[in-house]
Order: sequence, then C-alpha cells, then structure tokens
Amino acid sequence: METLDRPAVRKLMAEVVAVQGKTLPDDDTAKLADIGFRSLDFSELALRVEDEIGDELNFEAAGLRSIETIGDVLDLLVEIQGQ
Amino acid sequence: MIADNLVVDARTGRRTTWGELVQRAVPRPTPTAHVVERSVDALPAVAALKDGGELLVVAAGRLDEALAEELRTAGFDLVAGDEVRAATSPRAAEDGRVWLLTSGSTGRPKRVGHTLGSLSTVTGELAPRTWLCPYSPGTYAWWQVITLGLGVPGQDLVLVDPADLDDWLTPALEHGVTAVSGTPTFWRRTLMRHGAELQKLPLEQVTLGGEPVDQAVLTQLTEAFPDARVSWIYASSEVGASIVVHDGRAGFPVEWLDRDVPGRPRLSVVDGELVITSPHHGTDASGAEMTGAVRTGDAARVEDGRVLVTGRLDRDELNVGGSKVSVGAVRDLLQSHPEVAWAAVRGRKAPLVGTMVVADVVAGPGSDVNADDLTRWAAERLPEYAVPRRIKMLAEIPAKETLKSDV
Repeated sequence: METLDRPAVRKLMAEVVAVQGKTLPDDDTAKLADIGFRSLDFSELALRVEDEIGDELNFEAAGLRSIETIGDVLDLLVEIQGQ
Repeated sequence: MIADNLVVDARTGRRTTWGELVQRAVPRPTPTAHVVERSVDALPAVAALKDGGELLVVAAGRLDEALAEELRTAGFDLVAGDEVRAATSPRAAEDGRVWLLTSGSTGRPKRVGHTLGSLSTVTGELAPRTWLCPYSPGTYAWWQVITLGLGVPGQDLVLVDPADLDDWLTPALEHGVTAVSGTPTFWRRTLMRHGAELQKLPLEQVTLGGEPVDQAVLTQLTEAFPDARVSWIYASSEVGASIVVHDGRAGFPVEWLDRDVPGRPRLSVVDGELVITSPHHGTDASGAEMTGAVRTGDAARVEDGRVLVTGRLDRDELNVGGSKVSVGAVRDLLQSHPEVAWAAVRGRKAPLVGTMVVADVVAGPGSDVNADDLTRWAAERLPEYAVPRRIKMLAEIPAKETLKSDV
C-alpha cells in the first residue's frame, strides 16, 4: 500500500483550503481556528488522503488527542496510514 | 406549562427566557412551516404555540423543492425569515399541532403529528441542569431538548448549531453546561477533537441519541466523564422516546422484548426490524393516531443477550455531523448547474462528521467545468455541511444509473 509523507499530506491540505480561496500558512504551529480549518475541511482532507493511498484510514487507532494546529493534523494523518 | 428557564444562543452569547419569548410571540393564524438556518430562529414560533397555531420546523438544508411543494399543498405557508411562500391549498390551523418530518418507507419525508404535550416525555422532578442542545432544528431529538427547557423547571438550554460544533466546548464552559445530549457522531467528533480538554467540563449527564449507539463510543464517554451518568435513548418522531438505557452498554436487554408493561412501549424485532407500540406515538399526516405497532425502519439484532439497533434500513437521508441532508436536494442543485448533465449524490464515511456528501457528475457537452468549480458553486447555494466535498467527474452517465429514478 502506498503511503503519503508529511509534505504530501501538507500539499493535499493546501488544496483543501485553496478551493476556499485561502492559502495554507507555512508554519505548522498555526492554529486551525485562526485559518478557519474546520471539521468538514479535516474530513475532506482525510478523504483525499484515502483516495491517494487507496485505503481507508483507521481513526480508532488515533486515540484521544487534541487537534489544534496544522502540525497536529499532519502528525495524525501521517501516523494512522497503514494502521 | 411554560417554565421560565433560560435559553442561550451559543454563537452570540445572547440570553433570553421562555417567558420573554412567549411575551414577544406573534402567533400565525395559518399552518406554518418555519424554514430555519439556526436553532434560535425557531424559538419565537415555538413560544407562539402557547396561543395555539400549527407549526412545523424544518432545517433549510433538508428542504428540497419537492418537499416545499408537498407542504404548501398540505396547507402550510413556508416562512423563511421575512420571506413567505403561501400555501397552495390554504386551510385553518389545527391549534396546538406540532408536525415533525421523518423519512418514509419510500425515502420521502413524511409528516408525523404531535403536540407539545406528546413531545414532553420527561416525568418527575429533575435536578437543575444546563443542557447543551446541538441537534438540527425540527428533529425529534431537538424537540425533546426544547420541550425539556420549555416545560420542566430548572432546565436551562444552550443552543449550538450544527455548523458551530467545532467550538461548542468554549460556550459550554462559559455558560456552565452540566448536561449534553448529542448524537454518537457528535460525541466521536468531540472525543477526537477535544479529548484532553473535556475534563474541564464537569458533566453530570451525557446522553446519546438520534443514531445507532455502539459500545466503543459509550466506553470512551464513560472514561472521559467518570462522574456523569451516560445514557442512550432510542426515539423517533413516530414512536417518541421509547428506549432509555443507563447501564453504559450498547443495546438493551433481550428480556425487554415482547413485554407488556402499562404505560411503557412494547418492543419487538420482526424480520430484523425494530417494531414498537408506543404510548408516546404521534399521528399520521391525516391526524389519525398511530396506536398500533410501528415498523421503525431501523435494523435490530440480538447479540450476547442485548438487542442492538444498528441503523436505518433505507439510506436516503444523510447525517453530516448531526445535520440532516437530503440527497435529492443536493442532486437537484447540482443538476440545476447550467453545465451539469447528470449528478448522483451519496454519503461517504468520514472522520469527525461521520458522513460527508460526495457526488459523481457528468458535465454537459463541450463544458470544461471541473470538480472545484462545482464545489465552489454549490458552497454559494447550500449550507456548509451539504456541499459535496469530493466530486468525481465522469465521462458519461453510468448505464445502470439511467434505469433508476432516484440514485
């Protein structure tokens, strides 16, 4: 199964916000709330990742955590691929 | 009885009381379907029921043109803000009647009649609580929480709209929420998004309803809120709140099946479908009482001594993070684009929101419209949760789909 590295997931994340006419900040510590990246955007990103890797992501493996920054999103989506 | 409890709009922080809402209420003399974007938009119409009137509340994302015409033909004026579309078959209001919409066996919504009294199923005294209501306006679960605030002393409400669920924890902390009722999707999203912060919220009651409840989410909630009672409720427009389970386990004990207890619903499983005869029943669209056994349309199976309710037998209505979306409404919208020849809309499993709206689209001859164009176009015309986020452009309409009237 193909997996996406962090820059590849970041590129997909940039595509999600680009459709809304926004630019993804370069800073991984940027807050999702500040850039208006909401649950629906996160879900869309997850589907884009799934389409790229040809497999469903297992979010049950993620455990309890807080997702507040761009880095949190990238960490999660890189971590759970292949689990 | 109107309890003068507090109602808080989580988005604006605006506080009011049911007493104030009733004082300002302006009843409408004709049957009215209020089309609302937000929960708070429906409250004046609910308060006006004190003086009679006939009311149906429907979330804007759920209303397609076919439903709008059905309602107007059934005598309802459609009211959306200041805009009124008059009934095409006007009639007098049936005072005190409250209508809810549910999915019929054909997938089209059908009306179920209630009153504020039949929607108020909580009995006995309750400890004072401040409830968060995250449900989509007009649903049975929404009415359950609304009537709790309207009629039971000491039950204040904080209304948060499905579009604002990413941020519900902040207003919940600010307004002292002690009880939260939400769908399992709502709770999954909450646990994933706010896991570590949830301990700041000292909940006394955690309630799940509106969707099938599985053991994983119950266990996670019990661990996240060790001091709270974790309950799940099976309720629907047709049979009311019929199953209430407080033991932290999915399903209900098999011993509850086919048991006759005065004042309580009778529960059965027939051909894999949950069947309920309920004292909290509504009426059908003609006003006839639904006193007999109701086929709920929900799949049920017995496993390890528990009866598990696992989901809808039909799949025509999507639930996107707690917001109901009509597949037909989204498909109609896409197909109204001047460069779209055909569209099929469906739900796709997604994290946080449970299901996302996705679509297959065939562009018209000579068009170079692409998926991003259509997403942006739809975003200007649909509620955020109803916008198809993944659109697959097909070269031609799939042959098998041309044989279906509704895909």
